Amino acid sequence: MFDNVLDNYAHSNNLKDANTYFKVLFVISTMVMNLISTSPVIPLIITFFMSFLIIFEAKIPLKFYLKFLLIVPVSFGLLTFIFMSIFFGVGSHILEFGIFNLAITSDGFNLGFLVFARMLGGFSCLAFLALTTPTNEMFTVLEHLKIPKIVIELAMLIYRYIFVFLNEAVNMYHAQETRLGYHNMKKAYKSMGMLASNLFIRTWIRGEQAYQAMESRCYTGSINTMRSKDSAKTIGLKNILFLLMFEGFLILGVYFTANFRLF
Amino acid sequence: MEGFLPWYWCVFWFVLSLPVVAYGVIQIKKVTEKHPESKPLLAVSGAFVFILSSLKLPSVTGSCSHPTGTGLGAVLFGPAIASVLGAIVLVFQAILLAHGGLTTLGANIFSMGIVGPVIAWLVYKGVKKAGMSSLLGVFLAASLADLMTYVTTAIQLSLAFPIPTFTAAFSNFIWIFAITQIPLAIAEGLLTVVIFDYIMKLRPDILENLNVIIPKVKEKVQAVV
Repeated sequence: MFDNVLDNYAHSNNLKDANTYFKVLFVISTMVMNLISTSPVIPLIITFFMSFLIIFEAKIPLKFYLKFLLIVPVSFGLLTFIFMSIFFGVGSHILEFGIFNLAITSDGFNLGFLVFARMLGGFSCLAFLALTTPTNEMFTVLEHLKIPKIVIELAMLIYRYIFVFLNEAVNMYHAQETRLGYHNMKKAYKSMGMLASNLFIRTWIRGEQAYQAMESRCYTGSINTMRSKDSAKTIGLKNILFLLMFEGFLILGVYFTANFRLF
Repeated sequence: MEGFLPWYWCVFWFVLSLPVVAYGVIQIKKVTEKHPESKPLLAVSGAFVFILSSLKLPSVTGSCSHPTGTGLGAVLFGPAIASVLGAIVLVFQAILLAHGGLTTLGANIFSMGIVGPVIAWLVYKGVKKAGMSSLLGVFLAASLADLMTYVTTAIQLSLAFPIPTFTAAFSNFIWIFAITQIPLAIAEGLLTVVIFDYIMKLRPDILENLNVIIPKVKEKVQAVV
């Protein structure tokens, strides 16, 4: 229920020392390619390549990647796929069910398959970023993008407190569960409400304490932090060439497979 | 979900959400400059919304749902600040849990971070003005905010895939959401009422500082002094 393993891997994978700017640039440009593709071929290539990087380069355990990361998008994507291929077509029927006049149409099938492939492609890009990049490093990139300082400070504090409160929530949840707090629905609501409201009150007290602690350490309205050593200039020629070649290959792929259809 | 929307709709929703979030950022800047102690409080509230949205909630249909938490945030802080907190939480859900997505962030911010809080806030103010209890207001605000979030999502989806027509696609999507989301909206409303009720019993001073409920107790204390 409360797993924060994703963040643990972000700090301990094999690619954590790779240049953050490079990783972000790589993921964003691949995502754009994934979006502008009009055939399912390129998104599927992206999915395989990103999964390969995650498993063999970043050395994330295969079991974890499949279990936690692939089940949700694949099942959600398949549902969308089925839904779209039945309801979203006006073209010729390729399979009729014989009941309720339902049929899979070629238009609907192609659209559903395209969306399914895009979801997998986009998801694998996001998973690559989430699994290989420590969040603190992301803040430096955000700062470079001229995101207002107050937003970044809030984000940093929120990030810190998420894990503090996650621990408290897990403790309270287990305490309630051992006292049969969730054994029927009425109890579950009461327990969940108690947990959430107590958590809110605790978070509030913590917030007040944090302010007092900050003020006693000369807080003047801004939080100063150490910057990450990476910068856009240290990406390196090899990485830039790789990026250009990979995205160039994807663009060519998008262009040449533009009219590819399964049916 | 990442990759669901065509690129022009991604851009469209980003353009639509940005001004609202920017306005919220200006609001937050003003508040934190006036009351510096509010910065850590806003931060812990953002973390609270994140935890709330990662809790599983049992529902009538036997499925589980994640409360959006935006209703509570909007009632407590107002829609502008709730939208910024919602945006930050959505970014964290993308990069910590790989939920949601970065390209669909604009659309998600619009439905969850803007429509939801604005509806919640309007409903809450309306019910309070009509003189009914604030618990009823919280219930209606949270469940209607949840419902309108999904209606907005249905509109976004059928705008992106208007096949064969916008209305036909919309009725398809809204049917699916109606079956799954109405029980969940009621569930979220109930949960928010329980949360609000407990906070009101245990620490009413927090809610008074936020001007959510009328500070009756404070007046009494002042009269005694």
